[in-house]
Amino acid sequence: MKKRNTSKIIAFVFLIAMAIIWLIPLLYGIFTSFKSESELMTEGFKFMPIEWVLTNYQELLVNNTSTPLVKWFMNSMLISVSHTLLVLVVVSFSAYAYSRLNFKGKNGLFSFLLATMMFPSVVNLIPLYKIVDLLGWVNTPLAMIVPGAAGVFNIFLVKQFMDNIPKDFDEAARIDGAGELTIFTKIILPLIKPVLLVVALFSFTGSWNDFLWPSIVFNDIEKMPITSGLQLLQGMYQAQPTLLMAGALVAIIPTFILYLFAQKYFLQSMSLSAGVKG
Amino acid sequence: MAKKQGNNKILPWLFLAPHLIIFTIFFLIPVVFGIYISFTDWDLFNSPTFIGLGNYKELFFDTDSTFYEQLRIGLKSTFLFVLISVPFCIIVPLLLAAALNTKTWLSKIFQSIFYMPSLFAISAVVIIWTLIFNVNYGPINTLTGSETPWTGTQPYAWIALVVVTVWWTIGGNMIIYQAALNGISKDYYEAADIDGATSWQKFIKITLPAIRGQILYTLVMTTIAQFNIYGQPLMLTGGGPNNSTRVLLMYIQQNAFGSGQSIAGMASAMAVILGICIMIVSAIQFKFLRK
Repeated sequence: MKKRNTSKIIAFVFLIAMAIIWLIPLLYGIFTSFKSESELMTEGFKFMPIEWVLTNYQELLVNNTSTPLVKWFMNSMLISVSHTLLVLVVVSFSAYAYSRLNFKGKNGLFSFLLATMMFPSVVNLIPLYKIVDLLGWVNTPLAMIVPGAAGVFNIFLVKQFMDNIPKDFDEAARIDGAGELTIFTKIILPLIKPVLLVVALFSFTGSWNDFLWPSIVFNDIEKMPITSGLQLLQGMYQAQPTLLMAGALVAIIPTFILYLFAQKYFLQSMSLSAGVKG
Repeated sequence: MAKKQGNNKILPWLFLAPHLIIFTIFFLIPVVFGIYISFTDWDLFNSPTFIGLGNYKELFFDTDSTFYEQLRIGLKSTFLFVLISVPFCIIVPLLLAAALNTKTWLSKIFQSIFYMPSLFAISAVVIIWTLIFNVNYGPINTLTGSETPWTGTQPYAWIALVVVTVWWTIGGNMIIYQAALNGISKDYYEAADIDGATSWQKFIKITLPAIRGQILYTLVMTTIAQFNIYGQPLMLTGGGPNNSTRVLLMYIQQNAFGSGQSIAGMASAMAVILGICIMIVSAIQFKFLRK
């Protein structure tokens, strides 16, 4: 028993040390965003601001045309929310067909889709741009909303979850004469809410944080999402780190808030998705 | 009855259609097209000219070509980054998971703290760390009095990139290991205790074999993710010092979409080479760790 306590104490000390390393950069970033430029440059190292100021946020958020942070934020919001909704619809319909309906070539098609997951996505980057360009989607939210819905992993995840729902439920409804659409929306959808929530959380954060793709399909400052905006911001305000910190923190607010509220699901879902693949 | 069967034949395809259409347009066609254009001379806008293995020949054998140089530098940086970052991305979360698994105090809070950064955008993460590493007013330099520009001097530039990457990404792997460790039966450890096994022996003989599946999974996924490194060197080191952290994806992006004439055919050949490297490394990892 004593030995167990010793290992608990060692673990605790280790975790405290690591947690400090993990928290300090973030806290220092937050505090710096409330410092004035001159304070940061002249005062040497002070963890917290001597004088708390809001000028960095004001300069970025109010009447800002060269780096429209509010606009970027709204662009990202529109993109991430629409992308998430599209993924939910596409994935749940598709998973239902693979889990519940019978059609010729089902297993072959599904295996093929799974096999494509092993394919390195870097190869389709350049042609994907060309296709999006041909569709007239460059510098539009559609460039980020639609292509990501081609993914297969979420379908796999939701199908596995559906497979675990006893077929008796839908068989009974089928005997009662219910159509597939009714069974899908009335019986299956309510039961797969937990896994859909996981898909939604990861689609939203994935879309919000996407970096390489938006840097390719957006060059119009007004239209770009916030991750590309931050890259632009970094180029313009290299000499004003307090301003940059404010920008970075605005960009992480939505995923941070989402995490505060849905932490349990994020943590559960990681093991869920790994369990499926492992 | 006949009508119902007819319906049933079309119905599944109606359910599948949204995904299959998006999948075909935004995955299947680009993949095939991406491989094809690596055999062409293409500027993204005019129609591609087929040149066979021309791009590959230039990339691998034309020592005078800038692209030969780019491939050499880009692959070297990418492989080096994978080699030094992946072990930390496996070991650090494994240690954290093992520590959390002792059911020590505040473990829920610790778990949240370590997982949180993985939900942040890389551009925000890098901006925060750029401040930490800043030579003039960054906390490391002002506290220690050092005048080293960390992100502009080797080997510190690599260390900085690995630190940022580990800080940013380990949360997911940690959760996977936690779940795996929780699944190991206590009986094994009790039996080992009776035999007088040390903690280290228990870790090697019981813990590691029990979670090998999850380690293989995270190893393959992490390796693939790190091969696609782009945001960290782009924004933290700018590829420097002296191109030492310029990874292949930066060259691919620059050649295809950078300012000036697009060299999309050559960039595609580079992308195909990177893709093949990723597949070969994944295959090797599977082969050695599957059993």
